[in-house]
Amino acid sequence: MTFPKDLVAASATPIILAVLQGRDTYGYAIIRKVQQISDHRIDWKEGMLYPVLHRLEAAGLVESYWVVAENGRRRKYYHITAAGRSEYRALIDQWSVVYRALCSLSEESP
Amino acid sequence: MFELESQISTWKRHIQAAGSIGYSDSEELESHLRDSIDELSEQGVSEEEAFLLAVRRLGDTAVIHEEFAKLTTEDLWRSLFVPADSPLTARRNRIELLIVLGLAVCAGLLSKIPAVLGFGDLEQYSLLYLKNAALFAFTPIAVYFLYKRALPLRSSIPVLSIFPFMAILINLYPSYEPHHTAILTAVHLPIVLLSVLLYFYGGPSPLIRRGHQGAGTPAGWRSTNTRLNFVRFAGESFIYVILIGLGGLVLIFLTAGTFELIGLDAFPFITAWIAPFGFFGLFIMAAYLVGQKQSLIESIAPVLARIFTPLFLLVLLSLLTAFALTPNQAYENRSMLIWFDVILAIVLGLALYSMSAREIDDSFPPAADQSPDPLGPSRRRADAPRLWDLLTCALILSAVLVDIIALSGIIMRLSAYGFTPNRAAALGENILLLINLILLSLGYLRYILKGQPFRDILVMQMRILPIYPIWALIVIMLFPPFFAFR
Repeated sequence: MTFPKDLVAASATPIILAVLQGRDTYGYAIIRKVQQISDHRIDWKEGMLYPVLHRLEAAGLVESYWVVAENGRRRKYYHITAAGRSEYRALIDQWSVVYRALCSLSEESP
Repeated sequence: MFELESQISTWKRHIQAAGSIGYSDSEELESHLRDSIDELSEQGVSEEEAFLLAVRRLGDTAVIHEEFAKLTTEDLWRSLFVPADSPLTARRNRIELLIVLGLAVCAGLLSKIPAVLGFGDLEQYSLLYLKNAALFAFTPIAVYFLYKRALPLRSSIPVLSIFPFMAILINLYPSYEPHHTAILTAVHLPIVLLSVLLYFYGGPSPLIRRGHQGAGTPAGWRSTNTRLNFVRFAGESFIYVILIGLGGLVLIFLTAGTFELIGLDAFPFITAWIAPFGFFGLFIMAAYLVGQKQSLIESIAPVLARIFTPLFLLVLLSLLTAFALTPNQAYENRSMLIWFDVILAIVLGLALYSMSAREIDDSFPPAADQSPDPLGPSRRRADAPRLWDLLTCALILSAVLVDIIALSGIIMRLSAYGFTPNRAAALGENILLLINLILLSLGYLRYILKGQPFRDILVMQMRILPIYPIWALIVIMLFPPFFAFR
C-alpha cells in the first residue's frame, strides 16, 4: 500500500518512538519491525529513516550510541529519552483523537 | 567477478561525495546496507543481486541527500549543498554571486564616506578609520543574509538599524589625547556587531510552543544549534579572510613593485582605492565562500583545531612556567599582561571553534577498547570522551590558571595606579573570561568523569555567549563619557 508522502512523514515519528518504547534498537531493526507488524503494508524507503532519527535526536527525543555486534558489525542504537516518551504520549493522544473522529464520522455516514 | 567490498566502498564514497551525509551518517547507512545484504543472502539471493536490491531499498540517493541537508536547513551552508543542477538554482546562484560582488563594492564605498565628509587623510584620521572599520566590514554581511535568508523585513529593519545607530554614536563621541576610549571602541565594536550578525544569520526567534507541555523551544538566533553554527561560520570566515587577505597582500606588493620598475608610484592609488575595497570587501566574500565551499572548509576545520589545540596548550604551559620562574615580570610588565589577555581570548576562541567543529568530526569510536557488557553486545556511548576532549580540557584548565594570574596582575595594577579605561576594560574582560573558563572546565569535568552528555557543555557555552557583546557594548557606550573621552 502506498501512502501519501505527508502521511508517511507525519506517522513516522510516533511509529519510531513506539518501536523504541520497548527497547533500544538500530535503524535496520526498526524498519524490519515496522514491516513485520504491518504485514509489509508500511514500506518506507529505508534511507529516509535515518534523517528522521537524526531529527528526533536533535530534538532530544532519542539518544544514540554505537554497539559492536557479535559478528563485528558496528550499529548505531537509539534510546528513547524521557522527553521522547512524553512526546510519544502526546502524539498518541493526537492520533487517537483523529482516529476516533474518523471512526465515528464513518459510522454516521457509511 | 563481483567484489562486494569494493562495491560497498564505491557506494559509500558516492553517498559521501555531496557532503550533506557526514562520516558518522555514512557509517550508519553502510551498516544498514550490510544487514540488508546479509538478510537477502540468507534467502538465497546472490551477493551481487543482494547488493543491488539493498541499495535500491535504501531509496533514491538524491532524495536521501536532500533529507539530510534539510536536517540542518538552519545552517545556510548545508542548504547550499543541494547541487545546483536545475536551471532555476543555477540562476539563483548567479544572482547571489552578483549581489555579493555588489555588496563587496558597497563595503569599499562605505569606507569612502569619511573621505567624502572631508576626513580623507588616512594618517591624520587613522583612529576614525579604526573605529569604523567593523561597520564597513560587517554591514554588507547583514544585508547579504537579509537577502539570502529572506528575513521578514518588519522585524529585521529595527535590528539592521543598529548599524547606523552605532555609527552615529561612536562618531558623535569626541576623543581626546591619549585616545584610549576611542581605541577601546575600535576593539570592542567588532564583538557587538558580530553578535548583531548572529540575528541575521539565524533569523528571528519566535518561541515555538510545544502544545502538550507549554514549554518553549528557542528557534532562530536563540537556538543552541544556530549559535554553534554561527561560531563555526565566524571561525571559518576568519580563516578565509586570513587566506585571501594574505594572497591579496602578495598581489598588491607584486603590482606595486612592477609599477615601481616602470617608474610609476602606485602606492597612492593602492592605499586610496585597492586596499580599502579589497580589505572591506574581503569579509563579505569570506561569508559567501563559507557558504559555497562548505566541504572544503569542513575538512580543514577539524585539522586546524587539532593542530592548534596542543600547540596552545604548550603555549599556556610555557606561560605558566615563565610566571613560576619570574613572577614579578608578569605583574610589572604591562605588555606581558596584554599578551596574556590576547592568548586567553584566542584560547577561548579555539575551544569554541573546536567544540563547534566537533560534530563534523563525529567519527566512529575505535573498536579496540570495547569492553564486554552484560547487557549484550558490547556498547559504548557515541559521544564518549576521547583523547581529544582530554586535551581540550587540559587547555581550558591551564587557561583558568593563566587567567587568574592575569586577573591578579590587573587588580594589583589597579590598586597601585588607579583606574584607567584600559585597565577597567581588561578587568571586566578577565572576570568574564574567568567565569566562562571555569564553567567550561566544570562542564568538561562533568562530561569526562561523570559521563554527562557533551551537548550540555555546548548548551551552557552558547547560552553565556551574549555576555561578551553586552560587556563590549558597555565599554563602547559608557566608558567614553565615564572617562571623559580620553
